[in-house]
Amino acid sequence: MTTIDAPAEFIEATLDLPIRYIDRSRAYYLSLGYDNPFRWPHNTDAPFARMAKPAREARIALISTAAPYQPDKGDQGAWAAYNADAKFTRVYSMPIDPAPDVRISHIGYDRKHTSAEDINTYFPLARMKEAAAAGRIGHLNERFFAVPTLRSQRLTIERDAPEIEALCREDRIDAALLVAT
Amino acid sequence: MSLTARHLEAAGIPTVVLGCAKDIVESTAVPRFLFSDFPLGNSCGKPSDVEMQRAILGMALELLDSATATRTTVQTPFRWAEDAAWKRDFYRLDMTPEQIAKARAEMDNQKAILASKLSTG
Repeated sequence: MTTIDAPAEFIEATLDLPIRYIDRSRAYYLSLGYDNPFRWPHNTDAPFARMAKPAREARIALISTAAPYQPDKGDQGAWAAYNADAKFTRVYSMPIDPAPDVRISHIGYDRKHTSAEDINTYFPLARMKEAAAAGRIGHLNERFFAVPTLRSQRLTIERDAPEIEALCREDRIDAALLVAT
Repeated sequence: MSLTARHLEAAGIPTVVLGCAKDIVESTAVPRFLFSDFPLGNSCGKPSDVEMQRAILGMALELLDSATATRTTVQTPFRWAEDAAWKRDFYRLDMTPEQIAKARAEMDNQKAILASKLSTG
């Protein structure tokens, strides 16, 4: 039996529920005095494409929101504060060999409990290479793709997602693994 | 990232999204979602826990292969900590006026940096 004695914004901690980020971010922005909280996307359905071949035979690409480390753009290391200067503004691709140094200091992750010290927590390339070597992934695409996080649904839908699709077609991708951060 | 997954899927390319923000990803609505109930930034597992990271990637690949309907969410079996106290800390509202002013100034600054980047391409 659990006693519900926490303030409403802590109910997820009291009952161990997934955090309601939409509610929390909205309340937070309003409490800072903004009158136009971010409008999160909402859809009542989702498209679905069947796997034409199993993952162990498929060419799979990693798609990330991480940014290449830029030494002149401020702190991007473990426990770095939010760093909008490290943001990138256009879709990019990079080879997976040698393993790229990509960071997430430009993203609003949990600064109190997340260090971002281990790239494998947000960019699972090493694990994917192991899976490819073990035959669990048919073929790991030789480059990964990255999508900017610009707080603009319009840019993502109209510009960036189509560019990612074009890259996937160029490389004849069978399936994609996307990491949200 | 969920919007990109939807675009690819509509174009016939199957996707799986790994994430920690269940409400955001499910509200956007994606075909396949592997959810870990961890602090944001740990979608692929805990730091330095290679076995867990391996297991989570395995579940993502399994989800790619096994989903038969859209909006399939699978939750990984791992816990971030023994208790759920970490869920109290993100976007706390119990701030002093000074803390609010500081947070507001910092957010205005970051927004200005982003706006500047977007205007210069």
